[in-house]
Amino acid sequence: MFLSLDPFLPALGVPLFIALLIGLGLPKRWSVRLSYIGFLAPLLSALHVWWYFASSNKVSGFAFYNAYSTGIDRLGIGLKFGVNGLSMPLYVLAGIVGFAAGLYAIRSGADRLKLYLMLLLVMQAGLMGIFASVDIFYIYFFHELALIPTFIMVGLWGGRDRNYAAMKMTIYLTVGAMLSLFGLIAIYVKSGVNSFDLITLKQALADHPLELIKQQHFLGILLLGLGILVSLWPFHTWAPLGYGAAPSSASMLHAGVLKKFGLYMLIQVVIPLLPEGLSHWSHLLALLALFGNVIVIGLVTIAQRDLKQMIGFSSVMHMGYAFLGIAAGSALGTGGVVMLMVAHGLSVALLFLLTASIHQRTETYSFNDMGGLARKAPVLAALFTAATFASIGLPGFANFWGELSIFIALWHCSAWMTCVAILGVIISAIYGLRSAAYVFFGEPTNSFKLVDSHRPASDITCSEKIPALILLIALLFVGFYPASLTNAINSSLPASEVHSSTQANVAASH
Amino acid sequence: MNPSTLALLLIVVPVGSAALTACILRKYHALATLLSVLVATFYLGGALDLALSGARFEHSFEWLKLANLTINLGFKFDDLAALMLSIVGIVGFCVHIFSLGYMKDDPAKARYFAGLSIFMASMTGIVFADNLFMMFIFWELVGFSSYVLINHWHEKDGPMNASKKAFITNRVGDFGFLIGILMCYWLRGTVNLSELTAQASAGTAVISTAIPLLLFCGAVGKSAQLPLQVWLPDAMEGPTPVSALIHAATMVAAGIYMLCRIEVLMVPDALTVISWVGALTAVYAALCAIIQRDIKKVLAYSTLSQLGYMVTAFGLGSLTIHSETGAEILVKAGVGAAMFHLTTHAFFKALLFLGSGSVIHGCHHEQDIFKMGGLRGHMKVTFITFTLGVAAISGFPLLAGFFSKDAILYLAYENNKAIFALLAVTAALTAFYMIRMWIIVFFGKARSDHAAHAHEGGFVLQAPLALLAVLAVFGGYRSFYPHGFEGIFNLVAEAEGPAKLGMLVVSLIVLSLGAGLAFAVYRSVATLTQHDPLEAKFPKLFIFIISLKESFDSVYTYYIDKVQQRFAMLLNFFDLLGLGGFIRLGAGAVSILGFGVRALHVGKLNVYLYWFFFGVVLLWLYVAGIF
Repeated sequence: MFLSLDPFLPALGVPLFIALLIGLGLPKRWSVRLSYIGFLAPLLSALHVWWYFASSNKVSGFAFYNAYSTGIDRLGIGLKFGVNGLSMPLYVLAGIVGFAAGLYAIRSGADRLKLYLMLLLVMQAGLMGIFASVDIFYIYFFHELALIPTFIMVGLWGGRDRNYAAMKMTIYLTVGAMLSLFGLIAIYVKSGVNSFDLITLKQALADHPLELIKQQHFLGILLLGLGILVSLWPFHTWAPLGYGAAPSSASMLHAGVLKKFGLYMLIQVVIPLLPEGLSHWSHLLALLALFGNVIVIGLVTIAQRDLKQMIGFSSVMHMGYAFLGIAAGSALGTGGVVMLMVAHGLSVALLFLLTASIHQRTETYSFNDMGGLARKAPVLAALFTAATFASIGLPGFANFWGELSIFIALWHCSAWMTCVAILGVIISAIYGLRSAAYVFFGEPTNSFKLVDSHRPASDITCSEKIPALILLIALLFVGFYPASLTNAINSSLPASEVHSSTQANVAASH
Repeated sequence: MNPSTLALLLIVVPVGSAALTACILRKYHALATLLSVLVATFYLGGALDLALSGARFEHSFEWLKLANLTINLGFKFDDLAALMLSIVGIVGFCVHIFSLGYMKDDPAKARYFAGLSIFMASMTGIVFADNLFMMFIFWELVGFSSYVLINHWHEKDGPMNASKKAFITNRVGDFGFLIGILMCYWLRGTVNLSELTAQASAGTAVISTAIPLLLFCGAVGKSAQLPLQVWLPDAMEGPTPVSALIHAATMVAAGIYMLCRIEVLMVPDALTVISWVGALTAVYAALCAIIQRDIKKVLAYSTLSQLGYMVTAFGLGSLTIHSETGAEILVKAGVGAAMFHLTTHAFFKALLFLGSGSVIHGCHHEQDIFKMGGLRGHMKVTFITFTLGVAAISGFPLLAGFFSKDAILYLAYENNKAIFALLAVTAALTAFYMIRMWIIVFFGKARSDHAAHAHEGGFVLQAPLALLAVLAVFGGYRSFYPHGFEGIFNLVAEAEGPAKLGMLVVSLIVLSLGAGLAFAVYRSVATLTQHDPLEAKFPKLFIFIISLKESFDSVYTYYIDKVQQRFAMLLNFFDLLGLGGFIRLGAGAVSILGFGVRALHVGKLNVYLYWFFFGVVLLWLYVAGIF
């Protein structure tokens, strides 16, 4: 009964409550058991929202809308929950990746497991909150709630260079978040409606749009701030370093879900509120994303000799596609960005998970010391190969739809940029297949033989396989049945651009 | 059953079989094998039923709908698709049966058969595709299954590198293909094949040379035409039945099939480019084939060469023929000749590959033809069927290859004399290298222990050979084909009157030249050692061909190692230095600066300049890959 009223409260409340219990000194055995519930509740909520989205009543496009007062209504801030077609896929993403990362963490046997799980639960609650909130203040609030545990986790459980990585990540991400906050407050003040509520703001700014110059400036600030958070070139350097150092579950949640906050803000909040501002920046944004993220970082990814760094860089590269979709400025581009965010979140989380499993067997991330792991761990090899093909955009996986629709949308703006962007498809095939080959195939290297001789590598265990399979099945499901998400996405895209015909708009291309 | 449901099943059932194998049957090799072979049998039945029942239809399901973009899973089943589907069904079935014996003791048999099933499903998608997006989707998926199957013996470095190379090279081609599709989508407003045809006949189409050429890039990758041919010879690292199915009969021919599908988009300039690319590939690969020692490599280069033949045939375009009533009719003879040769080639090349598989199996995985010899006595069925295959591909009169090759030669003679000359040279070379291999493998005395103890591999290896041999013998006669493929075979132009006699004479001269030369060079087969007499007789020619063969690979290797990798490392360096590490390097930089200033502190401005230029030159040399 409770769930049918508001699916979001348990998704946030259960993990937070369990984190609180753990913090209050629950014994370890119970902490672990309750953590399962803590990660399961968001997943169930996500599946519920996904299943009933189409049939539910919508308030201004938001399904399952509920408002709660938090005592600061005077400032126009209230806890309002609801998902529309843009946030629902990401809410589901957060639920799935959170569950997989949680399962993996519970069984990982990390040091100070209780603290680790507590932080992950807080992060998970924050992630669910970002995509469930309709109030911009709370979107931002939940982002910070999820971000702070990340820093702590990198600092405490990180690998190589963890202190430097934690510091750098904190500096970059805090600056990015501050700039975004500044931009949001500017909109809040200038809109004159004294509200952070997205629905109210949208209505108010549709009736009385801000002056063009203000729209351009605010959007510029927000683009810079959010761009840092999503590793837009040249503000990306925190990302590979941070992911390289972070413990695997934290990388999964941050790269998979939390990083999408910036893109989500852009398509859900910033661009709808400042619709005239984008065209001023879209050319610059497209150039940075194209040559910076896709080409330069793509080539830099090829040069990596460390598996985890490589995945970190490849994630930066794929964010370039997402920015290109935003720069395209069309409904198709926006839809493609949502598809790509979901797909990338699932695939990069899967890659980070499998990377941790590889590390357990090879005791290194360096390509030079690996090789031939497939003969010892064929299932792990198959899963990693599948994840690699997903991330390089093989049809059948969700990523392909995202990339393809972004390419099509981008052609509408600039044909030559599309051609350059498609070069990235070759680049990602090169580093993706190379990494699979270095780790798994061919003759084993001497250092791997040495590691293997004193601790023989086994194939993937159940506690690794189940979270991996959850992510892989989700990728394939969306890949084969994209309508599972696109129906919802279409319902929130600007209606004027949705045609029912199979024909492209020929006139528009001239 | 509803034909469109059956068509959908032909995709879904193999996918289901692969998924079931991956999830449950991974360790139950016998069950996985049985499942896959049953699926292949079902596929053959379904394909032939669809093709021969005369059902021709178009039907589509909505797959992706995002904003104003709709991508359909569509089925366009006409005579062209029916012919291709039948080929895939027949060769696929033979290869599944053959694999039962060939892969009997393989420890990863389940993965192998699952890979075959994925391939069958993806290939079917290409055959049915009614729009270019769908074709691209399955185009990538056949590339994936090819990757998995080439990499079957992943413990070795060879298959690992070959699979990677195959997929990446194909992606290079697909780069152009995808751009072509997007351009077609925006310029023409649709990528549906039937709508494109309708536009062309209504005269409302936007004419573009770029679109067909970009789409052709896809075929250059998949059908391994110059300059992307390098992946196919390496792909021979995969199991031999895979080479027969994917890298000879079906997947590599998908490029030609795709061209025939988009024939309506073609313009004369594009066709000229296509025909020359094909002709150059044909003669280049035939030259490379004559010096190969590995039985599979001979066949791989031969496949390249024959694919070049088909591409040329397509590029030669239409032909005006005079009907009985005296009217002039424009016939798409290029499509007819290309598909005709694709069909006969699928049969005889699959036969030859499976025959080589039988030889390799019999000789305990020896692939060097100079370590074989005298197999005629040990492997009678293989010898007879292989001989028929050699005769068919060499253009021996009345066998399948003779007719389809003549159709192409005649078309070339009518439309482009220079290409005709190249193709005739290729035909002579083809006869030479096939007869050469045939003599070295089957005649003389055994040149290794393995060859001396060679043996036939049993019924499952011999039955597919026999079936394919029948097709290789009779595949050239139109009356051999049941009702249902007229849409294609009616397009095949045949020489008439004096031209017919002329073509016959040319073919016979070419055949006897090539075959005669082979018999002359290898006449002393009884005393053959492990050295190629061709090398002894024509050392310069031999060296020239080796350098020709290796030229592409060495250029690409140079580019990848010395340019791309260096450039990537340089960017990585700047990424670390210029953007990332300035906080950390701050301390280091100060000390380096101090050291540098001390070392350089010699007081003269020109010395600083020299150091500066020295640095610039070093950097430039590094980027250019000089060191």
